[in-house]
Amino acid sequence: MSKLPRITVENLNKEYRIYERPQDRLIELISRKPKHSLFNVLTDISFAVAEGKSLGIIGNNGAGKSTLLKILVGTLQPTTGNITVQGQVAALLELGAGFHPEFSGRRNIFLNAALLGVSDENIAEMEKGIIEFSGLGDFIDRPVKTYSSGMYVRLAFSIATMVQPDILVIDEALSVGDMAFQKKCVQRMNKFRDDEKTMVFCSHSMFHIQELCDTAIWLHEGRIIEIGDSDKVVADYEDFCNSSKSYNNIREDVPEGIENRKQSAQETEVQDCKINTISVQTLDGEEVTKVVPLSTLVLKMEVEVLVDNMEGHFGFAFMRSSEEPLATFLTQNFEGINRGPFQKGEILSITLVVDSVAMRIGEFYVLGGLADKSGLLWYESKFSKQLTVATNKGVGAIIMKSAWTVEQN
Amino acid sequence: MFFNLIREWLQAPFVNYRLFHNFTRQDFFSQFTASMGGVLWLFLTPIVHLVIYSFVFSYIFKMRAPPEFGEINFVIFLMIGYLPWFAFADAFGRAPNLVIEKAPLITKVVFPVQIIPITGTVIPYLTHVIGFTIFLVYLTFKGYLSVSWILLPFIFGLQFLFTLGLVAVISALCVFLRDLQQMIALMLTIWFFLTPIIYPISLIQSESVQRLFLLNPMHSFISAYREIILLGTVSPVHLMIIVPISIISYVSGGWLFMRIKHAFGDVL
Repeated sequence: MSKLPRITVENLNKEYRIYERPQDRLIELISRKPKHSLFNVLTDISFAVAEGKSLGIIGNNGAGKSTLLKILVGTLQPTTGNITVQGQVAALLELGAGFHPEFSGRRNIFLNAALLGVSDENIAEMEKGIIEFSGLGDFIDRPVKTYSSGMYVRLAFSIATMVQPDILVIDEALSVGDMAFQKKCVQRMNKFRDDEKTMVFCSHSMFHIQELCDTAIWLHEGRIIEIGDSDKVVADYEDFCNSSKSYNNIREDVPEGIENRKQSAQETEVQDCKINTISVQTLDGEEVTKVVPLSTLVLKMEVEVLVDNMEGHFGFAFMRSSEEPLATFLTQNFEGINRGPFQKGEILSITLVVDSVAMRIGEFYVLGGLADKSGLLWYESKFSKQLTVATNKGVGAIIMKSAWTVEQN
Repeated sequence: MFFNLIREWLQAPFVNYRLFHNFTRQDFFSQFTASMGGVLWLFLTPIVHLVIYSFVFSYIFKMRAPPEFGEINFVIFLMIGYLPWFAFADAFGRAPNLVIEKAPLITKVVFPVQIIPITGTVIPYLTHVIGFTIFLVYLTFKGYLSVSWILLPFIFGLQFLFTLGLVAVISALCVFLRDLQQMIALMLTIWFFLTPIIYPISLIQSESVQRLFLLNPMHSFISAYREIILLGTVSPVHLMIIVPISIISYVSGGWLFMRIKHAFGDVL
């Protein structure tokens, strides 16, 4: 049985009027002669979100994601088009909007929940849960202005989700806060989904979109490029980003070890090469998603050369997240590796065999990349699917290859 | 459409009572939380003003209260006009920034924005009604109490509605025309001196000029307070001005605010 749509958007357009001088606005009001130029933020947007479904919105900076969310929430009015939203909406458009810096976190819980339309009695009930979830402890009675940005987010997120709205709208909320809290947020949002609530959120974290959303919308310059299954949309978007060399978040977060080498990456106008695929396999050539500690992994990427006489270096990295490298492997440290020159149209297969993987717990990704001859210009990088370490005995973050001997003399 | 907007405006503080209550409490107390003097400033400012005005007008200019009010100290005469004016001026002067200050909230959270001008007017009135009441209590000891004093809350309430209408208009327009901020400050000074607060209206010789002052509703409000408190009566001409003007201001100001509040998000 199909659920009723919670959110329906039809042919939505949003344009901003740009006035060159502030007085033009007044002149236009009085003389009724148009004095503005139009800027289309959103053009012909239509979609629907059913109850219990979640929608992710992705796209480059300035694609209109935030504007769309604001219209959904109702803080902005569409220029033309229809929009229907059924149910109570809680929005986290900017974290801590509505917090009063001079008041304690506890007072702000009441203020914020009142803004979301909750009665005082209900807030009193929720208060404990909110404080607990935010993990603020004693800080809850200090003025909010003394909070770190992470604490701010934690409190705001706790309030917005504790209120139990029918629809939760989040703009980039998960990008702040530490990993532990991010994990809690994802759990909370998953539970939200299990409770058949509707969620809309935009993020630059493709991983979160894939994890949390059923459908995704890819916006580009105010138009819907693609709408559909989130895995598919994310994959296409990432492809687009990689090939257009546009500056998306994952590329911004190339591991620290190679951070300084990619500074001028955006300056290259001609694309030199393209990573077609990246995969992680066992020695037998089977694709891996669960990694057995101390096993051998084969990291492979296929690179298409797009210009003549390309020379370069290759690299792989194990990444905890898009910001946190665990281990890096770069060819510039080794002699005797084929560095080209390669000719246009050639397909390169790069393979790195890693013996005895040392990770014992957790999840990680493999990042593959290509740098120019100097190793300073980072052409291309691409993330693999997420890998999980298979459960095993022991404690601690890593495991080492080892041999025991016990001798009795 | 028109009536819907008006109804929404009239109901705003009641339908959204929680929010209204929380907002008022927040803004009322935030006046003091960051400053060391706290509540002290609330009383210090009008007291200092009164001392200065009394010194200048009563001592230097040797101003006397007009004879029709009997033998009273000019300072008392001044204060009856000045305290309600201060409530008005406070609300009026803050109006330009009300909505602009709340910009992060308005663009990020959906809530009945009409609460903002209401809170912005309630707070100065709440603050100054305290001072005014203390002053009235002092006057009862002086033996001024009369039955007609029951009219005072009524007049004060009308003055509140009159102010609220203006505050709603100014706070909304300032979003689009930032220049209004400077104009309002200037207007307030002009308005203050064109209202017979620090001087009795009888000081004006020409009858026709005196009649011109009836165009200023604040003059009628202040005259009404003076007549009620000191004489126990009120001239119908003042009532005939303040009752309709307050209702007109309240309703039309609210209507205008409700009409343009949707555009705030685009400009803020």
